Amino acid sequence: MALHIETELGKLKNIIIKIGDLAENQVAEAVKVLLSEPVTEGKEVKKTENKIDKLDVKIDEICQSIFALHQPVASDLRFIMSAMQISNEIERIGDLAISIIKKSKNIKDKHDLIVKFSIADIAKQVESITIKTNECFLTRNESTIGEIFILNNRIKNECDEAIHNIINEMKSNSKTVVSGTNLVIVLKHLERISEHCTNIAEYVYFMINAKIIKHEKFGSTKFED
Amino acid sequence: MQKIESKGINFYYGETQALHNVSLSMKENSVTALIGPSGCGKSTYLRLLNRMNDLIDNTKMTGSILIDGQDIYEKNTNVDDLRKNVGMVFQKPNPFPKSIFENVAYGLKVNGITDKKTIEERVITSIEQVALWGEVKDKLKKSAFELSGGQQQRLCIARALAIQPSILLMDEPTSALDPISTSKIEELIYELKKQYTIVIVTHNMQQAGRVSDTTAFFYMGELIEYDKTKTIFTKPSQKQTEDYITGRFG
Repeated sequence: MALHIETELGKLKNIIIKIGDLAENQVAEAVKVLLSEPVTEGKEVKKTENKIDKLDVKIDEICQSIFALHQPVASDLRFIMSAMQISNEIERIGDLAISIIKKSKNIKDKHDLIVKFSIADIAKQVESITIKTNECFLTRNESTIGEIFILNNRIKNECDEAIHNIINEMKSNSKTVVSGTNLVIVLKHLERISEHCTNIAEYVYFMINAKIIKHEKFGSTKFED
Repeated sequence: MQKIESKGINFYYGETQALHNVSLSMKENSVTALIGPSGCGKSTYLRLLNRMNDLIDNTKMTGSILIDGQDIYEKNTNVDDLRKNVGMVFQKPNPFPKSIFENVAYGLKVNGITDKKTIEERVITSIEQVALWGEVKDKLKKSAFELSGGQQQRLCIARALAIQPSILLMDEPTSALDPISTSKIEELIYELKKQYTIVIVTHNMQQAGRVSDTTAFFYMGELIEYDKTKTIFTKPSQKQTEDYITGRFG
């Protein structure tokens, strides 16, 4: 017979998988809107955002109930603490995806800019890191966590480089300022999504190893690229 | 130096071995919780620390237990002196059928203290130590049975403290108490550890987490894991410990 707490933990795990899938779809949709010409509407995205918000609240309620009724310890405690943080990160990923869609609509000559500054490659990597993040929560595989840290570093570097190039373009051609600014914001959002994914990977690491690694510098760790 | 040091303890009730090679050390002014399922040997181990198991027929112990560096199972050990130094509080409050004052004074009188002033001072100090003074100061001559269960248990702790032990053993001291009385005893344990070394047997995992500095997990007479309480409840090193504290045992 399954323990009551196990039933609750199972429920929590399933909701996190679900909310993670929804956020993954949101990012995929945001990338599609960003890279497509002309701009698509992204109607489904609003509905999905509402679903994510509801699940985020549901996760908080389940966690609160487990804390109050079961007083979890050890691995159970780590899982619930991580679940609360992960759901928060996922909800923000969803919000950023919506913001990318909105900003994408205000970029004139988007296709040319995207090609010129290799935005498609960055966007695809961000899509990939969200997929890997869901996979790492599901499998609790440490090597996937390492891949996420490496990918995040790469995305960050490429975003920095692209932003630097866009700013130079804006300096030399004032007509590109509005589109360039929106594109910089989009890149910053993509970078933030990647960082939220990394935070999730850190919580998964905590779940597995009971070691808090957030705020550690990964450049000198075993996850170095 | 450790306050309590037990090395390679084996204990037998007749042919049945209840403890297997248990080695456990406790620091002075610390609280150690002994946890584990019923029959795991934790109470047996606790009772070895003031030789209470000597009172049970057909038992045998091997190994050694040192308190302040002295082997308490040496032939020349004065067991009465040992029990003065190692006080004990039991699961159910067990006041004597005497007044509140006499319950605390009893141990002093038995130990040959006759000076009324000394007795009175010690009784008041002990009752104050267990935060019971405010509740009983006006009814010291009334029967201890008039007190609530929680008050009776604190009175029993005061009785143990009156003879000025340095170690306090507690065998499930709150299992018969309501949450408010339990909370008072737990606050008391926290206060008392400044002066005493406390060893507590408890089935309440949350209580072990709240009151103790170190926790020992026993299973089938073996010490499975002994570590800081924080480590035991956040990252136990043994799967059996994890299964027990998360309720997945067996």
